[in-house]
This record gives sequence, C-alpha cells and structure tokens, in this order.
Amino acid sequence: MTDWKALAAAAEPPVPEDLLPDVIPALEKLEAAFRPLERALPPDTLLWTSCEDDA
Amino acid sequence: MTVPVTIGEIGAALRAKKISVRELTEEALRRVAEANPRLNAFLTVTEAAARARAEALEDELARGIDRGPLHGIPIAHKDNICTRGVRTTSGSKIFADFVPEHDAAIVSHLNDAGAVMIGKTGMHEFAYGITSNNPHFGAIRNPWDLGRIPGGSSGGSAAAVATGLIPLATGSDTGGSIRIPASFCGVVGLKPTYERVSRKGVMPLGLTLDHAGLLAGSVRDTALGYNLIAKHSSGYLPPAHADLRGMRIGVPENFFVERIAPEVMLSFRAAVQTAAALGAHVTEIRLPDVEAVNVVGRVAQLSEVSALLAGYLDRRTEIGRDILVLVEQGRLIPAIDYLNAQRVRTVLARDFSKIWKNLDCLMTPATAITAPKIGEMTVAFGSISEDVRMAATRLARPFNVLGWPALALPCGFSSAGLPIGLQLVAPPQQEDTLLQAGAALEDAFGIAGRRPPLP
Repeated sequence: MTDWKALAAAAEPPVPEDLLPDVIPALEKLEAAFRPLERALPPDTLLWTSCEDDA
Repeated sequence: MTVPVTIGEIGAALRAKKISVRELTEEALRRVAEANPRLNAFLTVTEAAARARAEALEDELARGIDRGPLHGIPIAHKDNICTRGVRTTSGSKIFADFVPEHDAAIVSHLNDAGAVMIGKTGMHEFAYGITSNNPHFGAIRNPWDLGRIPGGSSGGSAAAVATGLIPLATGSDTGGSIRIPASFCGVVGLKPTYERVSRKGVMPLGLTLDHAGLLAGSVRDTALGYNLIAKHSSGYLPPAHADLRGMRIGVPENFFVERIAPEVMLSFRAAVQTAAALGAHVTEIRLPDVEAVNVVGRVAQLSEVSALLAGYLDRRTEIGRDILVLVEQGRLIPAIDYLNAQRVRTVLARDFSKIWKNLDCLMTPATAITAPKIGEMTVAFGSISEDVRMAATRLARPFNVLGWPALALPCGFSSAGLPIGLQLVAPPQQEDTLLQAGAALEDAFGIAGRRPPLP
C-alpha cells in the first residue's frame, strides 16, 4: 500500500502536520477499497466519458 | 399579501391581473428581508436590479408580450452560478469579490423565459460539502428547525424555496448537492442526466461529476423550469392527474436500504406501497456493487477538485479546514489512480446499465437521515457511528458517478417535524419518467406546499 505519510511530506508544499490525522487515515481506507477494483480491470477498458456509452 | 405558492398558480394570478409582477417582486423582497437575518439563505439580494426587471416584464405583459410560465416569477441562483455583473463567490473568501462578465447558460435560459432574479443563494464553501455551515458567510439554517443544517451544498437555494421566499432556484450537484438539501428541507430537487443541462458558467468542482439543476416547491414547477434549461427537452409536463399505471419501478434490496434511520425507512416503505397503489409494477432488485461506485466517485472527485483548488493553497488561511483536508487528500492521489478510477467507472456503468432492461425507474430514500444539528459530526445507526457527510452523500453520489437523472421529493415528516426525502432515478435522458412518477407520488403524498413559518 502507498506510504501516504511520505507522499504528504514530499508534496510541494508539504501537507501541514495538523491536517495529517484527517488526511492519512482517510486515504488509507479509500485505497484499501479501491485497489481490488483497480486490479480487476479488464485490460481493454477505456475511460468513462459519458453515460451514453454504457450499453 | 397572500401570494400563491406554485409557479402555475402565480402565473394564473398574474394573467388574471390579481397581482402584478411589481407586487410579486416586492413581496418576495419583503419576505427575504424579513427571513434572511435568521435563515441566511441569501448571500446577495439584487433589489434594484429585480425591481427594474419587474418593471420591464410588467410592461411587456401590458403590451401583450408573454414569455411563458416563468414570466415575472421571482427566482434565485446558487452563488457558484455566474451572473453577469453580480458577484459570484462560490461560498468562498477566495472569490468574495469575483464579478462575472457573463451569465451562465442556465441563467441565460431562465432570464430569456422572463424570470426575475431576486438574488444569489448561500452554499457550502466551494460547493464542497453538505452542511452549508459556511465559515466566511455564516451557517445557513434549516427553516424547519433553525438549529439544524439545510444540507448542501445548495443549502441556501433549498432553504429559500422551502420557506416559500421563491418558488424556484438553481443548484449544482457533484455528489448530491441538489438532492441532499432538497431532502433535508422538504423541497423537490432535480439532478438531470450528465451534460443534459449546460454547465457553462457554473464554477467547476468535480470536472466529470458536476451537474446543473433545479430546486422547486413542487414536481410540476420543477418540470416547468427543466423544460427551459435542458439541451433537449420534450416539453413534457405532468398532467393534472398523473398515475403510475404500468410503470416498472425497482426497489433495491441492498445498499439503499442499509443503515437507514428508522423513520426514514418507514416513510420510504410507505412510499413504495403508494407507488404500487397508483398502479406501478414494483419489484425488488439486487443492484451490483454500489459501494464500489461510491469509492470510484470519491477517488475521481478528490482528484478533480484538487486540480482546481490546489492552486489556492498559498491562501490557506482563507479556506475552511474541512475543504483543506479534502484538497490535501486529493493532491496526494497519483494520476494513475485517478485514471484507473475513471476506467473502473466504465466497467461499473456498463454493469449497472443492465438493470434498465426490466425497469423504468428506481426508488430509494434520498438520504439515510433527516437534517442533522449544526455542528453534528457523526450520526448513529444502532451501534454504528457514521460521519455525517458520508451518511448524507452515500445514497446520492452513485448517480453522479453513473450520470443518471435523479429526483428528490418529500415523502413524509419525522416525529420531530423534519422532512424525509424520496429519490427517484431513471435511465439516461429519461427525465420525463422522473417527472411523471414524481408528480403522481407528490399528489398522493399530499404534503407538497407544506411550508414552515417564516423565521
């Protein structure tokens, strides 16, 4: 999983320390839910552009 | 002065010369002046311009020029919707002095139809939240209980319509920002199909999630406004006695009925029974992975909003903390994740679209809760505690991600006297189905037009 704390420190400007408790856990939780969806992507999948292409 | 409630009634009174456009405008301005100090629904009241406009429209009527159902009707625009010569703050200190040179497309359409802009409505800062508890312009209040939030981000529009200050207001909806305040304030809110209503001149937030739409006091008033702002509209207006005969309505048996406040669930179940009694074929349906849709929507939204707002971080002292937290989250999400979220969205949209093979419409609660108190950060569902923002958005956001049209309308009141919202959802471009079903249900519920006392 991503080291969000390291990313936050490396960002320009860095994420302020006082915001980290509200930034890092939320991203960790979101990433945990997102990675399995990302891994299951069929290789020929295009970007979503509008709901006209759904059928 | 007693002013009729709906646009149709007001229009009839205008044309019967029982009331003039001038009187209508003056009465709206008077009511705004009376209620706004406590409600805080309006950020800007355009008194002089409204009076001049009313004068011109009154003269037009006298000369036999009638622009149609919105001629002379007082309305308001959310303050992230550009209005030429009138400041458009997006509820932010950053744009506190921004005065657009052009009207948004939605504003132009309503102007051309003869609407009278009374002012600009308050909102959650940058439209990026659901409380409308604005750190720069003050908390907007829910007219049903001034200690509660109106929802957001179109909180001012919803509060103004609910109080009867105006019958129609514009809004924008990126993750529920029209439907959530409609639900909390007991008004109708329409988020049309993605791109069905031009976003030109609406300050962007979620670049692939934003929708422009309307809040109104009734479904029929919503239909009148929608026909004027949609790129392609059939001009459909629900008949006087709309019914649901033959309409195939799906009621989700998963996600949309989980972690719902008991009184909301009771009203929702009663609404489903009403739909069946009106002739709808109601069937339970198991939806694909809705939670995945919300996950993808959040990745996309965080990235898109940060792309727009990260440039203002050098002025972070002028931005609310809740916004800063979200902008910082979005700033850290890699481009690869954003792009793959948009690819997962394609897969999910394809899966979800299959449900329309056997259905015309979905019915869900609009929000899992009624309006929380100002400052309340969490809500409890039995032993489970949930962040207020998540609880408010999780039933609305999926339809921003899928781009489907969705309509929120009041279906009941809690024991505390707070409105409870119902959500109807249709396939892309099928707004007429929503308006038909909404009007039939609204008639059956018999609560449209119920207004709180002027605060």
